[in-house]
Amino acid sequence: MIIVLKPGWTEADIEDISRRVRELGFKTHLSRGEVRTIIGVVGDDRAKEQLLALQSLDCVESVVRILQPFKLASREAHPHDTQFKVGGASIGGKPLVVMAGPCSVESRPQLMEIAKSVKQGGAQILRGGAFKPRTSPYAFQGLEEEGLRLLKDASKATGLPVVTEVMEPDKVDVVAEHADILQIGARNVQNFSLLKRVAECGKPVLLKRGMSTSIQEWLLSAEYVLAGGNPNVILCERGIRTFETSTRYTLDLNAIPVVKKLSHLPVIVDPSHGTGLWEYVGAMAKAGLAAGADGLIIEVHNNPAEALSDGPQSLKPDKFAKLMSELRPLAEVLGRSL
Amino acid sequence: MIIVLKSGVGDAEIDDVCRRVSEMGYAPHIIRGEFKTIVAAVGEERGRPDLRLLEAVETVESVMPVQQPFKLASREVRDEPSEVLVNGVAIGGKAVVVMAGPCSVESESQVLEVADAVKAAGARILRGGAYKPRTSPYAFQGLKEQGLKYLAEARKRTGLPVVTEVLETESVEQVAEYADILQIGARNIQNFTLLRRVGEMGKPVLLKRGMATSIQEFLLSAEYILAAGNPSVILCERGIRTFETSTRFTLDLNAVPVLKKLSHLPVVVDPSHGTGHWDLVAPMAKGAVACGADGLIIEVHPRPEEALSDGPQSLKPARFAQLMKELRPVAEAVGRTL
Repeated sequence: MIIVLKPGWTEADIEDISRRVRELGFKTHLSRGEVRTIIGVVGDDRAKEQLLALQSLDCVESVVRILQPFKLASREAHPHDTQFKVGGASIGGKPLVVMAGPCSVESRPQLMEIAKSVKQGGAQILRGGAFKPRTSPYAFQGLEEEGLRLLKDASKATGLPVVTEVMEPDKVDVVAEHADILQIGARNVQNFSLLKRVAECGKPVLLKRGMSTSIQEWLLSAEYVLAGGNPNVILCERGIRTFETSTRYTLDLNAIPVVKKLSHLPVIVDPSHGTGLWEYVGAMAKAGLAAGADGLIIEVHNNPAEALSDGPQSLKPDKFAKLMSELRPLAEVLGRSL
Repeated sequence: MIIVLKSGVGDAEIDDVCRRVSEMGYAPHIIRGEFKTIVAAVGEERGRPDLRLLEAVETVESVMPVQQPFKLASREVRDEPSEVLVNGVAIGGKAVVVMAGPCSVESESQVLEVADAVKAAGARILRGGAYKPRTSPYAFQGLKEQGLKYLAEARKRTGLPVVTEVLETESVEQVAEYADILQIGARNIQNFTLLRRVGEMGKPVLLKRGMATSIQEFLLSAEYILAAGNPSVILCERGIRTFETSTRFTLDLNAVPVLKKLSHLPVVVDPSHGTGHWDLVAPMAKGAVACGADGLIIEVHPRPEEALSDGPQSLKPARFAQLMKELRPVAEAVGRTL
């Protein structure tokens, strides 16, 4: 970090700050400028948030971070892309992964029908919500444990691994029993006790970016899971809140190359939530891959007009299959496979 | 428009609202619900008094538009996509058009060097700023008319049409003398006198979205130019302001399919401003082409580290040529050419 002193600093101030920095275990490097004097802190300060507290000293104008505050999630710590397998699906690396399925698990026939059709369309992983974090308390809250059982059955019937959301630490074990990937939803990206708990369970984690989470905060949330001993984290960009209201969220595809530069973790895109309207899902799925995403998560429903959640952004199975056929040649020219 | 009345209004108040609606030239239709009564005002809204005025009436809770407020820019008026022709280059057709060049024209040799390089790599239009809207009054403000002369020189030498920004109504004629496309920058998106002036001018206009302009406002700005009699408007998404600071702006690629759905006008994307970092330009350029953009505008500088503006987001000519090579198969994979 760099500590910038206010004009009018004294030698005693420099002495005081240098002593504090040394006490925290760092070396200092003083640089006296014409207008401003700065103290460089030398050493690995990634985990040392205490340095930021020096900003409260009268003589300090600001403390500027130079290193990213995350370590295990960073490319410096891990230069090669993280790759792992979930069932038969490869995450990260050359093969792209497509996760598809309904927003909510609504019934056995609904889930079975959709699971078969997304498998036929070429999806490698089945998505479906059993525990649903709904904005309104009156909206359908999910089939809960019954939904998990249906997902497990659909997984057996199709051979597709399952990703589903877990909303609270108490439910991590039961969700992990039924699912192959645990999803942390956008609203829980900074639910730190939940992050610590899914880190312990050992199953891969799909970590969605929050709707107002900066990329740095998002990677720090991933760091919680990694630091808890779970290396299999998949990041998911799903749209952020902006002033624009013609789409449900603003899909921040800039985040894809930014995360790829900062981190070794695989990144996928959710064009369903990122747009909120099925008509835009195809275009943004293509853009997601072209920008370098390692995969997609797409909502598919056999009857969107009667869906219990997210109908407007769900693709019908035939539209999903058509999109998959359009994505394959694109993946190929990007040097990926699908 | 839908006029929602407050709960508990009586027949006399409903009649009063209906009378006002009729006087404004619309046909009122009353819909009585269990909790609320609404009055639908039927009739063409554009060119008639604004029904939102009724929000000032005490019995009215809200007035909700159901129709887009722009007309000439909308798909209702023209269903097939518009092509803007610039000296033989069609923008909005099957071919993706790449505009490239320096942020600022800095010298004759600089602009000629870049023009030769971007032409050789396959750019169809030369960009370069002569009048520069810089955030700081101390930053380089552009070579002004001298810069326009250099741009005209570069066009003569390479045959590439020129796009350059015009900042004020007084210089529209002068810029139009030298340029083939007049650019309205993000900061002038709601400079309505300037929009009218370039509308009257008749030359093609590249209209950049403002950094806090909604898609609806953006299309209304385009409507100003169209309504002044100039049909040749090219829309440009260049990033919006959000909470995310790891990129200069957040490139809103959702806007591409949304604009394509609402409007017949061609849409190009500026991945240079939309990211602010040269190493993010290529993935976002590919993402833009993949989601349906009709073109790209990219900053290229022979020595970005010495650039007088936007060096960090400028590609070196060799990198630009490499990107063009990578973009061609992406364009083909989505049914376009480049």
